[in-house]
Amino acid sequence: MKIDEKTNVISVTHLSKNFAEYQAVDDISFTVKQGEILALLGPNGAGKTTTINCILGFLKPDIGHVNIAGIDPSKDVVKARKQLAYIPEQVALYAKLSGLENLIYMSKLAGVDKTKDEFRQLLAQVNLPTHATNKPIGSYSKGMRQKVGIAIALAKSAKALILDEPTSGLDPSSSHEFSQLIQALAQEGVAILMATHDLYRAQEDAHSVAIMNQGQLVHSLVGNAIKETKLESLYLEHVRAASTC
Amino acid sequence: MLILTLKKEWIESKREGRTLWLSSIILLLLACALLSSWHSYEQVQTQKQQVAKSERERWLNQGDKGPHSAAHYGVYIIKPDTGLSVLDPGLSDYQGSVLRLEAHKKNDTLFRSIQDAIQMQRFGDLNPAFILQTLLPLLMILLGFHSISAERESGTLKQLLANGLSPKKLFIAKVMALTGLGLLFFAPIILYIVYSLLFGDNFSAGRSALFIASYGIYIFIWALLTLIVSSYAHTSRSALISLLVIWALACLLLPKFAIESAIQQYPTESSQAFQSKLESEVYTPERQQAISKFKQDTLAEYGVENVDELPFAWSGAQLQFGEQFANKVFDRLFGQRQMQLQAQSLHYQSAAIFSPFIALQTISMSAAATDLAHHQLFDDAGESHRRLIQATLNGDLKDNGLASIKRNKSYRGDQHLWESIPDFTYQYPAIAQLMSHYGRAVICLLLWLMAMMSLSYFAMRRIENEGQP
Repeated sequence: MKIDEKTNVISVTHLSKNFAEYQAVDDISFTVKQGEILALLGPNGAGKTTTINCILGFLKPDIGHVNIAGIDPSKDVVKARKQLAYIPEQVALYAKLSGLENLIYMSKLAGVDKTKDEFRQLLAQVNLPTHATNKPIGSYSKGMRQKVGIAIALAKSAKALILDEPTSGLDPSSSHEFSQLIQALAQEGVAILMATHDLYRAQEDAHSVAIMNQGQLVHSLVGNAIKETKLESLYLEHVRAASTC
Repeated sequence: MLILTLKKEWIESKREGRTLWLSSIILLLLACALLSSWHSYEQVQTQKQQVAKSERERWLNQGDKGPHSAAHYGVYIIKPDTGLSVLDPGLSDYQGSVLRLEAHKKNDTLFRSIQDAIQMQRFGDLNPAFILQTLLPLLMILLGFHSISAERESGTLKQLLANGLSPKKLFIAKVMALTGLGLLFFAPIILYIVYSLLFGDNFSAGRSALFIASYGIYIFIWALLTLIVSSYAHTSRSALISLLVIWALACLLLPKFAIESAIQQYPTESSQAFQSKLESEVYTPERQQAISKFKQDTLAEYGVENVDELPFAWSGAQLQFGEQFANKVFDRLFGQRQMQLQAQSLHYQSAAIFSPFIALQTISMSAAATDLAHHQLFDDAGESHRRLIQATLNGDLKDNGLASIKRNKSYRGDQHLWESIPDFTYQYPAIAQLMSHYGRAVICLLLWLMAMMSLSYFAMRRIENEGQP
């Protein structure tokens, strides 16, 4: 089935959010379907994180609404969050616990019922080195922490995965490994929203790209158009155009 | 979820090492305090039983003598202790445990442990109540101040919430984990009480239930307070500082301030001043006038002109009249002092609205019968017994002394008379009957619980709003 024919998992409709006089997000709309990877591009302050916080239910939209697998986070935030997994730029885990213990704790809190071996298999599935499984997270690299984050998403069978700057600070090899993991997740039907500055990863991995600047969605690309476009030029064109306004 | 959170907190704490060290220190202190209090209690109980027995024998075997001489010879009665006084000695050290009952005088209790205490002991006595009331909240603060704030700082709070965890469940699990930890330290005390209830004596189920319930609520209040502050604090450092300030105010400064305020508001005289006031108010010209009037009335009643013509020994009647006259003075002056002391106690209790420590301390001492109210009850029972002794001895002299006096011989009572005076036994009333003395503290403790539970709602909302600017 083509992505176009699949159902929307994340729907953002006419979303606006102000902080006092500052318009952080200004009437943006987009959807992320099952198995789709949407790269949300934009400079710092473009409104990407505010949009993510609205999707996660940490912020309530002033105008418009968000829908996660049929649930409005502003109405039932806990139920909406159960449908998704969130991996921030710095995956926040308990430093004194091992990767396995973190996975078990986070997953069980989310209501996942699996055996220790099944959790171990999930860590193997995200290519976390076996020797690291029982080491404290404090000794993990950023890439390893992200793998644990993805394992949590896998464990709870999240319908949507929200990534905030996932590849910043990763070396090319880790970035490549991470790309493979999220593509595998997308193939399993997970809708992925990835806020990033990494134009290369966006061009390589995303099925659709949305460029945000000054709270607005200024350009969208879908399918082959992404590969065929000089993304960097397009991005800079929009960002510069906005800054000269 | 609770077990999951407990397990996770336990693993983290174990690896951090801090919990283990702090817990070990408090447990060691608690064990030392419990053992030392229990040992001292056992020793004192044995001594008290021996003294009570020998005192009765001394009274019965005092030999033949005038009843009034026996009244001055006096008896010593021993204040009983409840088993809970091992856990909370309360004011015992300041109140004394032996009361001398004699003619014409109402004495204060003797043998106050504090008089024998070295200076360092006066600074602070290590007993289980002190550890549970003062040090346990501090331990709970040190173990729980970062429960939510550290999650906020490290970003795990946002991660947990984004993972679909309800803020309410998270807060409750953390509170239960900290409460569980607090109760873990209280567990040895509960075991001791249950064991003593089953196999020991001097333990009342009602008092034990009140004791356990009030400490349970107190621990829960501190767990809620710690988590509330941790939920609101931006950093763990500010959470710790805020909680330490609250602890110092609630457990150290406010109680001191409340005591000072109670003394200022309801002042009492020094013991010496009170004793000299007693002397001066009993032996007054009015007393002589009252005795003269009683004599005239009695002579008139029997239609005689001289006390030697009365059909009973006048000295016995006169002594009893003198006792009754003095009793009225005692009732008035001791009553005034008791009222002042009770007012001080209630004033202090009122400060429990600002400190759960004061509420618990009051309830705990009441349950252990080591507070002022119980001491006054014992004092009243002792005074009733003193009056019974005086009435019996004076009555015997009045009824049976005439023949000896007419033979110009002094009347002497014998063992039969001494045996007619029952041995003093006293048991404290059921704790429910003393509700008026500690009810205010119970209400304050429950108000604290309700206030903390209400604030918990806002703390959960604060967690829910995580991520908002």
